[in-house]
Amino acid sequence: MITVEHVSFDYHSQPDVLKDVSFTIDKGRWVSILGHNGSGKSTLAKLIVGLLKAKEGSITVDGIVLNEETVYQVRKKVGIVFQNPDNQFVGVTVEDDIAFGMENLCFTREEITKRIDKYAKQVGMEDYLSKEPHQLSGGQKQRVAIAGILAMDTDIIIFDEATSMLDPIGRDEILAFMQQLKHQGKTIITITHDMKEAVLSDEIIDLKEGQLLTHDKTKKVLQDKVTLNKSNLELLPSLKLYHKIKEAGIVNEELRDYLWQLSLQK
Amino acid sequence: MNNIVIGQYIPGSSFLYKMDPRSKILALILLMVTTFVLTDIIQILVLLSVLLVILKLGGIPIGRIVKGLRPIIVLLFFTFTFQVLFIKTGRIILDETLHYSFYTILLAVGVVLFWMITKRFIKFKISYFLMMIVGILSIFMYYPIGDPFAQGQLVIYTGGLQGAFFIMVRLIIIVTLSTILTLTTKPTDLTLGLEQLLKPLSIIKVSAEEIALIISIALRYIPTLLDEANKIMLAQASRGVDFKEGKLKDKVVQIISLLVPMFIISFKRSDELANAMEARNFVPGNRRTRLHILTWQTIDTITIIITAITIPVAILLRVMLG
Repeated sequence: MITVEHVSFDYHSQPDVLKDVSFTIDKGRWVSILGHNGSGKSTLAKLIVGLLKAKEGSITVDGIVLNEETVYQVRKKVGIVFQNPDNQFVGVTVEDDIAFGMENLCFTREEITKRIDKYAKQVGMEDYLSKEPHQLSGGQKQRVAIAGILAMDTDIIIFDEATSMLDPIGRDEILAFMQQLKHQGKTIITITHDMKEAVLSDEIIDLKEGQLLTHDKTKKVLQDKVTLNKSNLELLPSLKLYHKIKEAGIVNEELRDYLWQLSLQK
Repeated sequence: MNNIVIGQYIPGSSFLYKMDPRSKILALILLMVTTFVLTDIIQILVLLSVLLVILKLGGIPIGRIVKGLRPIIVLLFFTFTFQVLFIKTGRIILDETLHYSFYTILLAVGVVLFWMITKRFIKFKISYFLMMIVGILSIFMYYPIGDPFAQGQLVIYTGGLQGAFFIMVRLIIIVTLSTILTLTTKPTDLTLGLEQLLKPLSIIKVSAEEIALIISIALRYIPTLLDEANKIMLAQASRGVDFKEGKLKDKVVQIISLLVPMFIISFKRSDELANAMEARNFVPGNRRTRLHILTWQTIDTITIIITAITIPVAILLRVMLG
């Protein structure tokens, strides 16, 4: 469970990137944090893992209040997959990279090799263990990053625009993993501006210019025309049509339901 | 970009590959010391032939060693020339007067020009270069046409030739030794071995682990940055920058147009990488377990003992032979 209370943040001298943001994410939920560039969504992710320090407010992860002393405890609970597949690949080989986090946590060597096998298999990279990053595609590198996070066994996984630099195939692969992880009981936070990714999640947090616009169940957010208008999100065509038909007062339950279902598919 | 190989490692399975990188690095250092202690030409030739036997047994193709020698050819040439010209011991084997006249110098310049024009068609560049040098010398020595306005003496002693030969063999041995190490050890193992060997430096607050991490990250990012450099070069080329042609002054400007973006990108990358490492619980200076560990075997102990013995033996030989 993550609780963010009245958090504000600024990058020196500039106006606040986040202004008095508060929300709670329950265990086992999949939450999308949406917003345009500069809305502060990536900053929020860095605040939760303690890479940045909030100017005001507090962040609590599983009952631990995040501060300079507890930051290492919190990082054991929260894993983060970043946007650029190349800039988070630390190891010389796939195997080394999956091991990196576990090496830092001082796992035994037996445990490390066991987990490398297990999680490499889970992300389908078991045949690539000795490959070097420049021999892999972007999607494969992100899968390795996910395996590295899974191997550390964190309860919460943040995907910070993890699919934005991938081709459609790579993106779909990662989305499939998110669903799989959700079924395993992990709490998932995806930071994105891709509506296709957002409709898969349970809840949507919508940020605009550093302020929290909405935080509600995905279906509710998508049905609420007023908040949708405020947030300037790029909606799926089917959802747009759904709202148009609803607005026009056309009563065709079957068509409306069909468009609604269509909007929720990836 | 899929075929970049960092370092010179060639896969194999001989005893050289099975050895611990630590013992290989140590043996390299020990043998280098021995090479410098030896002063007798016969002894150093013995050492060279032992090395050749090791190469054969270790299954390393000689061609790869020769390739490794290529970068030091210029160095070999200069040391050889200096030794031959300036050591004046032993018998005189060549004593010729060099005639510098207008015509001989003109002829020599002609030979150089001919060499410069034709060298691109000749396959054996080094032999061709040596032939040119011999040609010029023989013009000065054997064709004294015209009035010489100056004369010089070319005197070569046996000592000079011997010394030159000796130094060359010594250099070749040292380069061969280090080539064996890099050919049979993966860069990652090399880094790991170096890390272990540098561990005692922690007394003077130098962290071997951090040095090793820096090296391994550098190794890991070479292909990524090369890829990046390629992209920038293409991007600049599409804006009219020509990296191949142009005068030196233009070239400098072109290189700057590559270097500046490379620097900025590298800083961005390192910032993001630092974030990713920190998020995965990396704390500089903290204890970490290691996935890869090195195993010291009997062959490593034997190697170290043998190579260590060569030093006192070499010293003894040197003292005994005066």
